[in-house]
Amino acid sequence: MSGFNPTSTLEERARVALNDEFLRNAVKYTTEKLRTNKKSATDELGNWEDWRDRGRMIRLHTIAHLDYYLSLFVENVRKAGGYVHFAKDTKEAVDITMKIMEAKKAKSVVKSKSMVSEEVHINHALEENDIEVVETDLGEYIIQLAGETPSHIIIPAIHKNKQQVADLFSAEAGETLPPVTKTLAGFARSKLREKFLEADIGMTGCNFAIAESGSMVLFSNEGNARMVSTVPKTQITFMGMERIIPSFEDLEVMASLLPRAATGQKLTVYMSAINGPKRSEDSDGPEEMHIIILDNGRSQQLGDPEFQEVLNCIRCGACLNACPVYRHVGGHTYGWVYSGPIGAVLTPVLNLDNREQWGEVANASTLCGACHEACPVKIPLHDMLVYIRRRNVEEGIVKKAEQLGMKGFQIVASNHRLFRSVLRFGKVAQLPLVKNGMISSKLGPLKAWNSFRHAPALAPQSFRDSWSELDQELKQTKNELPADIKQRMEEIVAKRGKQR
Amino acid sequence: MKPHPLIEQLDKQAREKEGVFFAHIANRLGRDRITEKPVQPVRGVPDFWREYNLGEQERIELFMRNWESLGGTAKRFATKEEIAAFIDELAHGMSAKQIIRAKHGLLEEMKVDEKLSDLDMTIWEKDSPADLLAKAAGADIGITVVDFAVAHTGSVVVTSSPEKGRSLSLLPTIFIAIVPAGVIKTKMGEVMREVTKWNQNGMPAGIHFISGPSRSADIENDLTIGVHGPGIVYALVLDEK
Ligand code: SF4
Repeated sequence: MSGFNPTSTLEERARVALNDEFLRNAVKYTTEKLRTNKKSATDELGNWEDWRDRGRMIRLHTIAHLDYYLSLFVENVRKAGGYVHFAKDTKEAVDITMKIMEAKKAKSVVKSKSMVSEEVHINHALEENDIEVVETDLGEYIIQLAGETPSHIIIPAIHKNKQQVADLFSAEAGETLPPVTKTLAGFARSKLREKFLEADIGMTGCNFAIAESGSMVLFSNEGNARMVSTVPKTQITFMGMERIIPSFEDLEVMASLLPRAATGQKLTVYMSAINGPKRSEDSDGPEEMHIIILDNGRSQQLGDPEFQEVLNCIRCGACLNACPVYRHVGGHTYGWVYSGPIGAVLTPVLNLDNREQWGEVANASTLCGACHEACPVKIPLHDMLVYIRRRNVEEGIVKKAEQLGMKGFQIVASNHRLFRSVLRFGKVAQLPLVKNGMISSKLGPLKAWNSFRHAPALAPQSFRDSWSELDQELKQTKNELPADIKQRMEEIVAKRGKQR
Repeated sequence: MKPHPLIEQLDKQAREKEGVFFAHIANRLGRDRITEKPVQPVRGVPDFWREYNLGEQERIELFMRNWESLGGTAKRFATKEEIAAFIDELAHGMSAKQIIRAKHGLLEEMKVDEKLSDLDMTIWEKDSPADLLAKAAGADIGITVVDFAVAHTGSVVVTSSPEKGRSLSLLPTIFIAIVPAGVIKTKMGEVMREVTKWNQNGMPAGIHFISGPSRSADIENDLTIGVHGPGIVYALVLDEK
């Protein structure tokens, strides 16, 4: 999929996002709403700080003893009759999946939301093997039809408006559907119903895996995760190796944190604990169940005092909603699977082999600390962002980005009128940028990497304002760290070192 | 059933590989592998939460209030007969044609089948018809007796068994949950404790917490009800034992 092909740089992607008025407004509106909901839900629960501490301690303990808990989980899944597979990278995960497909002679797959499967690009691999794969989360279905990637961890199609959804669904339906939510959702329901009932394989992600019982736990509001784990005969679950918690008792803590932090719900409509395949006398549920446990760079964070805590993440999206940069530019600016502050950390650390490509993603942040404040398990994301920037500097990655001509681009793009006149008078060739082949034929090549943008209209005022605001923030990256942040980091590192 | 040779081969590979996988984790953590159960510094919820317990009436009322605020309908009945009468009225009032229900003593005592004898009724049991899934998918109403309910979150909890499929609460247009008043707990953790007890003698394959109707806000933030699961959900609380 072209969505993850980083032929563009962070600043280019940000520029595109800033230029899309609908996108900016939608992201602002939705994230604001989610934050307000979160606030009332956490107020209602009370003692939010105590809950966060609890969540953090459980996650810290589990990760510090990951080998024990993971192997206990594996043992219990097998006891319940399930299969477990280990994949050290995405290639192994794809190979395992394809073998299962072959054994099952599978022709079709229905999927519920799984960020790990996005990491693995499993849809692409399945399609290449002529296996139909259908995303069944409404938001994921929308972006699948659009050929895009999720731009928010909880609301994948946050950047799409109703008309765009109507167009996509109309093409699928073979008739014109009005941009009315009810009609559109109704279409998706009946269309996807057929798919659920026909599919050979149900593919899911995994919110939590309970070591003591071998259960995998799924949260969903639409019920598609339940469909996927109930109707098809074979279930395949993708699981990041760090998803473990020790017990059902600990699940109560996570279930109190995750939905509240994500959407402000006390609990999602469905929370399902799936314990192996169906029992022999049950009449529904998968007959065969496979759990693919993925490392893909995660183990590299273990034992690293600066980054081990990133494995505590419960993928709630609260840090996205709190982040001034994310709220400005939306998810695609980050370029890879995960966006927002968690994406700005995960992307470079899970792609250590491609540091040059991904290192700069950590620059999409202001170090304001709002992400840490929002995080239900208190991950010090802003500190981690600083560590990555420091690494980037140490390894000369910043320089590399500058060599690519970004300086020139920055100057031109920050002045919208100049940018326009450059395009109009065909002076493009005079820009350093052109050597990089990025604006060689007006907006043509830009289109290739910004397929998520529906109308290439430049919105002069807002674009310029937003850009300079963001640009200020991005420029901070080159500054030396404020002394207080630096000192705090050092203290944290010292403390964390001792804890381990 | 013997697994496919490819699956057997994958399983064998996994068993060979796991030692290295776990050893690598331990190695990254800078120590040898741990095989003894570690002491958890904290387990489960904070103490103040453990102590949070409501009286029975409060529990019932809070559960009903929360279920309603999630977009469901909650009603309370003194007797089984009254519930049966309500279901009768509801099913006929909306001209339901197909019903699917769990096989459960309580439903038999209520005599719902008698009331709905003019409708196409399927009972979920061990020797169910082969097209059970299709039946559930085509049903207007699915009825089951829940294992637990949680007042604080407004949830019902259903577990899968040969008499009680997962589809009952998932595929029909309307889901009716019969909630014996006695199974309503204050908070989720009480259910978790019960579930943990099953751990030793084997768990049901599916444990589902359900809190209101299926919903989505994926299209421009507009709340849509009934996207994949039932859009209309009733919790009928029964006082009679
Ligand atoms: S880092 Fe924290 S706030 Fe961000 S997604 Fe993960 S758990 Fe949520």
